Amino acid sequence: MPKYFAGCDLGSTTGKAVILNASGKVVASALIRSKIDPIETGREVLEMAAGQVEGLDVRDISYLVGTGYGRNEVPFANENVSEITCHAVGAHYMDPGVRTIVDIGGQDVKAIALNDDGSVLEFAMNDKCAAGTGRFYEAVVRTFDVTLDQFSELSLKAKKVVPVTSQCTVFAESELVSLLYKRHPPADIAAGVQLSVAKRVFTLARRVGIRPKVTVTGGCSKNKGLVKALEKVLRVDIVNLGMDPQFMGALGAAVIALRKQGN
Amino acid sequence: MKQPVSLPRLINDIVDSPISPLVDKAQEADRKAIAYTCSFVPEPLLNVEGLFGVRVRAPGVSGTPMADTYLSNVICSTVRSILEFVLEGTFSSINGWVFTASCDHMRRLYDNLDYLEHPDFIHILDVPHKRSEAAVQWMREELSMLAEKLADKFNVVTDDAALSRAIDAHNEYLALMRDISDLRKRDHPPLTGAMFQALIAAASSSPTDLIIPHLRVFYETARNAPGIDDYRARLLMAGSHCDDPHYIRVIESTGALVVGDRTCTGSIPALAPIDDEGDPLTVLARRSLSNISCPRMMEEFDTRVEEIIAAAKEFRVDGVVLETMKFCDTWGVEASPMINALRKAKIPVLRLEREYSLGSEGQLQTRVQAFMESMGK
Ligand code: SF4
Repeated sequence: MPKYFAGCDLGSTTGKAVILNASGKVVASALIRSKIDPIETGREVLEMAAGQVEGLDVRDISYLVGTGYGRNEVPFANENVSEITCHAVGAHYMDPGVRTIVDIGGQDVKAIALNDDGSVLEFAMNDKCAAGTGRFYEAVVRTFDVTLDQFSELSLKAKKVVPVTSQCTVFAESELVSLLYKRHPPADIAAGVQLSVAKRVFTLARRVGIRPKVTVTGGCSKNKGLVKALEKVLRVDIVNLGMDPQFMGALGAAVIALRKQGN
Repeated sequence: MKQPVSLPRLINDIVDSPISPLVDKAQEADRKAIAYTCSFVPEPLLNVEGLFGVRVRAPGVSGTPMADTYLSNVICSTVRSILEFVLEGTFSSINGWVFTASCDHMRRLYDNLDYLEHPDFIHILDVPHKRSEAAVQWMREELSMLAEKLADKFNVVTDDAALSRAIDAHNEYLALMRDISDLRKRDHPPLTGAMFQALIAAASSSPTDLIIPHLRVFYETARNAPGIDDYRARLLMAGSHCDDPHYIRVIESTGALVVGDRTCTGSIPALAPIDDEGDPLTVLARRSLSNISCPRMMEEFDTRVEEIIAAAKEFRVDGVVLETMKFCDTWGVEASPMINALRKAKIPVLRLEREYSLGSEGQLQTRVQAFMESMGK
């Protein structure tokens, strides 16, 4: 039986798993929405990923690294590593030129500065508040009554940006409602939302220093409107990693697992 | 992490209650409890016969809605939390209060307490921002006024002989805490940082003479205990107010071991022995000005950095955690250059900004774990 190495990232909103073969190629990946019980999320997402490799049972994975909020709960894991290190390792694995990562997840925003060898030089992280995270977008799209993709597209159609001052998830909802009542074009308000999140990321990223190449990871990386707003405020191009950026944490964990191969 | 020793139950009880049960006990014996909030207050002056000092804490405070209306929510949350408890009546058995004008936030606490509660005894010490000889004389005058006021109000003796006795007694406590602190220098310290912080918090919020026997029992057990050998990294805690052992417990739940502290509520350098020669008030004034590492003291930045570097060497730590209270102006100004200076000295630093009460444990763990990983631990 060939050897396989896996990473499992149990985040606040989704669970992700990535499996590598012994030569470091991604052979499987899976993503599910988090359940109440993280152990169940972990088990299910790992089984989904293992199911993509013929004859592979989760228990036969040679080394498994857990990461994310639920990292202590990943079933069968050999060890756990913080998501900050994992995102760094994952992004560096895909593109060794990356020096700054902005990770926008379900309830966290992080900025990570990398050394040339891909190790973490410095990081900054938001506090308790969920402003500018996946949770925030959930509230926003509820107000607009669209899907996140539609919202992202909408924001790209803006003619100008209507400033949205409130970054607080709770207050933003009522501010958006009143802006919509004032008959501002929804696209312009949507662009305002993206800008307000990008500005928050800007402050955080400034704390670690913004050095190209810059990339965005985590669930919100798929929000094209946000990525565009980030490029504008950070004044850099955001590089595409060639793999779904939402998997970077799980990929990094799998790479760490692969590196443990000799041990 | 396997922990070879555990804390006596009484210590844990004290840590989790705003008023130590030993305070009630001392008050039953007709001694008066004098509350204080800041390290600049010289404890021996409050520990003369008939009185005892209590450093107030606000364990278990859940939100500060009342305090926020009198202060504002951009005031340091240590201050807001204490005021909240004052307004809830938690501290109403306290007999007197002594503040220092250590920072503006503390001054606002004094103002509000005075205005809202009219305590029977309340005093604020003016503390100079420098350490010069003139500053020591100024501080001595301040202490002398307080000594007189305490004597008048509580009918106690605060003359030189009484102060010398209080200093001797306090030195006994300091020596014991230094012995416990020294155990943390071992390769395998028998106690965690959370335990040490619990001992300090319990001791400073209880009458010293009543807590010493309990500390001694702990020391005797700990010094012969095997020691913790499965930690990932040794850390030093530096920064502002941290009287909550649970905060350190969360940090240590990642496998880190906090082996030394340099916070104003922690161990060093305020555990150094107090001079027992010379005019007691001058000795106490000098000690207040020179043994407390607080960024409010101007012109002392380099000394504070050097103290941390020296402690990092002494306790052989892998990195320093600089925890600062949100909205604290003095630490707000100090933290960035301090981080740069420590990094220049090749010491890895993690900055944690925090509120008084513990929240977002998961994020705190992630930060500490990532910090250790970045050091290759
Ligand atoms: S933490 Fe800062 S603001 Fe709070 S009391 Fe201390 S010096 Fe003042």
